Amino acid sequence: MPSTLPPLTSLTAAGCTAVITTAAGTWPLSLAVGLAAAVLAVRAGVGRRVLAAAAAVLLPLGLSLLMLHGLFFPEGRTVLAVWGPARVTAEGLTFALESGTRTGACVMVLLLFSFTVSAPDLVAALAGRGLPPQFGFVLASALTLLPAMAGRLDNIRAAQEARGLVLRGGMLSRLVGVRLQMVPLVLGLIEDSGSRAQALEARGFGGPGPRTSYREVADPPAGRRFRTALLLFAAAAVALRLAASWPVAGPS
Amino acid sequence: MSQQSLTLPATGPGSGAGSAKARRIRRVLELAGAAAIAGTYVFLVLTQPADIANGPASFSALVALGGFFLGAVLLIAAALPVLPTSTLVLMPVALVLNVVLGQLMGSTGLPFYFDAIGTVLIAVLAGPAAGAATGALSSIVWSFFNPTVLPFAAGAALIGFLAGLAARSGLFRRFYLAPVAGFVTGILAGVVSAPIAAFVFGGTAGLGTGALVSAFRAMGDTLLAAITKQALVSDPMDKAIVFAIAAMLVYALPRRTTVQFPFVRRFRVLAGTAPETPEA
Amino acid sequence: MAGAILAARICSFNFHGERAPALRDVDFSARPGTVTAVLGGSGSGKTTLGKLLAGWLRPGPAGRLRGSLALAGELLEFQGGEDDPRINPAAWSDRVGYVPQEAAAMLSTVRSTVAEELAFGLENRGTPRARMLREVAGIAELTGLTALLGRDPATLSGGELRRLAMACAVITGPGVLVLDEPLASLDAAGVIQVRDLICRLTGAGTAVVVLSQAADGLARSAAHWIILDGGTATATGTPRKLIRSAELARTGTVLPAVTCTVPAVRAQSPVPDTEPVLELEGVGFGFPGAGGAVHEPLLRNLGLTVRPGEIVAVTGRNGAGKSTLLRHFNGLLRPDTGTVRVAGQSFAGLPAGRAAASVGLLFQHPRDQLFERTVLREVSFGLRRLHGREAGSRAHEALETVGLSRDAATHPAELPASKQRLLALATVLARRPAVLALDEPTVGLDRHGLGRLDHAVSAAAARGAAVVLVTHDAAYARAAAHRVLELDGGCLRDA
Repeated sequence: MPSTLPPLTSLTAAGCTAVITTAAGTWPLSLAVGLAAAVLAVRAGVGRRVLAAAAAVLLPLGLSLLMLHGLFFPEGRTVLAVWGPARVTAEGLTFALESGTRTGACVMVLLLFSFTVSAPDLVAALAGRGLPPQFGFVLASALTLLPAMAGRLDNIRAAQEARGLVLRGGMLSRLVGVRLQMVPLVLGLIEDSGSRAQALEARGFGGPGPRTSYREVADPPAGRRFRTALLLFAAAAVALRLAASWPVAGPS
Repeated sequence: MSQQSLTLPATGPGSGAGSAKARRIRRVLELAGAAAIAGTYVFLVLTQPADIANGPASFSALVALGGFFLGAVLLIAAALPVLPTSTLVLMPVALVLNVVLGQLMGSTGLPFYFDAIGTVLIAVLAGPAAGAATGALSSIVWSFFNPTVLPFAAGAALIGFLAGLAARSGLFRRFYLAPVAGFVTGILAGVVSAPIAAFVFGGTAGLGTGALVSAFRAMGDTLLAAITKQALVSDPMDKAIVFAIAAMLVYALPRRTTVQFPFVRRFRVLAGTAPETPEA
Repeated sequence: MAGAILAARICSFNFHGERAPALRDVDFSARPGTVTAVLGGSGSGKTTLGKLLAGWLRPGPAGRLRGSLALAGELLEFQGGEDDPRINPAAWSDRVGYVPQEAAAMLSTVRSTVAEELAFGLENRGTPRARMLREVAGIAELTGLTALLGRDPATLSGGELRRLAMACAVITGPGVLVLDEPLASLDAAGVIQVRDLICRLTGAGTAVVVLSQAADGLARSAAHWIILDGGTATATGTPRKLIRSAELARTGTVLPAVTCTVPAVRAQSPVPDTEPVLELEGVGFGFPGAGGAVHEPLLRNLGLTVRPGEIVAVTGRNGAGKSTLLRHFNGLLRPDTGTVRVAGQSFAGLPAGRAAASVGLLFQHPRDQLFERTVLREVSFGLRRLHGREAGSRAHEALETVGLSRDAATHPAELPASKQRLLALATVLARRPAVLALDEPTVGLDRHGLGRLDHAVSAAAARGAAVVLVTHDAAYARAAAHRVLELDGGCLRDA
């Protein structure tokens, strides 16, 4: 379900929230931000997709952090348990918790943004802000092409199976099979892009002149003021953090 | 609609190449981008917190994010507006290939990332600038599905840039040289990306790589040193395979397709393609 | 060339890196308010000529042109060197529109509605929004897209997509419109709509150029024909003068009226008491929808029995499930209910690749099916396991059957579309399957290709293979098959 916020406002909100959470660097805040994003995602009707995408990213990272810092943290002083070379320290566990929640909060917030924003609105809004149209093209075109790829790959696989290709067995035979599937996919995409380039040129895409937009994206002044406030707040948070822990005073 | 002239002005290499001033501005942007990335790296290594027992350093995280992101944005701003449309349309393709081929290779069970096949392929066909912009942009678009790749945009740009340089200097003309170029690229890209993993994420995303970092940590390395060493173990091998796959794909394409790319013709990137001989 | 809005005199045009010219000695001109048809077989250079005329292929970046182009009174001379004029593609396409055969290639892929896709070209030219809205509404009215303005372009049918592509090309009001195979793979309704649109455009004074490998009704309505063969214009003149000419007969151009009368009665159906080689019993199938719900089943309680040597054609409207039916033969899809038996054996539990030994399936898009570096390697793929030492001779034999022996060392992707389809057919034939299933085999084939296809199908049937072909072309179905069945409402019945 597309968000009701103007795309630039939700982009700014997500970005600033991520920056402020990083700057603050305390796990209760990170956890709260992550949970709030989850609640918002569920209420926007994209809870399942956001959580699935987040889990795919965060679970391996979380486990890796737990193993890494939970067991091996040479800087740790408060030793809780020792198994051979592994030392469980309170500092290590805290470090894993801090890093994990901080990344988790940022991932949740940014996924909430990307799963609720309407990509065409975002591209139109960015173009309206003077971003080069090439950027919008790459973003929108990739988002259009990606979902179509699964179907295309299925077709290739079916067509090749119909020719007697069986993808089974050891890694080497799989590798051969993958090569056979890659070739038609890459060739097809590159050939398509060749004619797309010709079509885009013919439709004036390469031209230098000013452009206009058919799509109108509402951007009420309240949203603009909100964005300014958020940006100032994020800048302040970053400045405070930098000032507080400027390293010249820190390590010798 | 005002009727434009049917032909473009006779001089100047391309429609967007513009005046000498515009070229100078682009050059400055490129250098500033590279400087931002290099400077950030040096700064992070010099100022890395000696004691991380008080929790992850938000300071280093912010510097790493800000510096690398700024560098990637400057590089994109320098390259994007002047890329011809024929290169531009390859960028979404590269991104799609990064994702899809990465997943396909992942299905073979090899313990690597394979997330740069498309970027390297495009760099070989269209050159270093296109490769760098592709790498950075594809990280930005991919972050719509996995935000953790966003901070690695600078590293991805570096991979694309180096792949393009390798192609330009003829390393893709011999099949065995491509993995060598990939190996060297992997070393540089791994080292540059290590501070991101260390300071922004506090570790690596995979269990295999995590185990490797743990081993170095158990020997008493700092986090950055452990992750850098891990990157030096995994990345060169990964990039060597990625470059080899990209070379294999480029040679599987029909000559008629590859020779349509001016970069391929001009620098005789592939074996058997004769250099352009203008007969004026 | 007096009175021509667009004229070309092409001494030669070479793609970069190719020694043989793609076009040579072609004189072309198009007059306002008329249709000009460029006719030729697959690989004759029609598309190259069309793209060159429309500025899609630009001399310099795309290849080397010697000759001249004249558009709206401006003459550009090309020597094939560095000092040649450089075409401004946007300005050129303001006056010459081009619609590729694959209409989807026209789409920007970055606009989410038909209206925005139409506006894309105007946006890039900086047209003020108020005027843009007016022009989009106007062009939608002209092309019959008004009801579709809010739709996602990716969801359009073939005919709708073709009209959208045409609308995108004419929205800037070009005086010339070049259409590459504008009627290919359209159903009857789509053909009528596109032809009607062409009439309106010529009525408004546009010079329409049609590139076609069939001398169909649209081509016959043209004022002027140019016949291309091997990249050279072999004849020009009125349709009346050229329709029976030797030059046209030499090309691969399909003459629909002629091919329709060819179907002499086929050899009698094989004796009915042989054991059937393909049997479907009570087959039901529906694609799983989102959330696990099963859509309305596409096939229900479907039965089909094909005996060795029998050729069966299956027709039906778009989306009736014809391709889905074929994919059940070799286990790419498994029936929800009922059984599929080939030579008395069921494939249940076997991977689809194993079934390929006894069932050969030719897909609609040959590009997906081809993956090797040369034509010969392509046909030989997997043969050794199947035929052992005979593999080599089988491969050559299959290439001979489809007439590709001389292209054995070519990269499959460098073949023209018609030959790519024949190559895909050869890969299937080389395995000598007991069942040959062909999905829309005639699409994209020129006359030579159709002849080869006909020959290959009869040869396979004569050898005792059961042939099932799916086609939207009712005339071809009647001509080629012993039996014609119609797939309707999930069941097969005699047509």
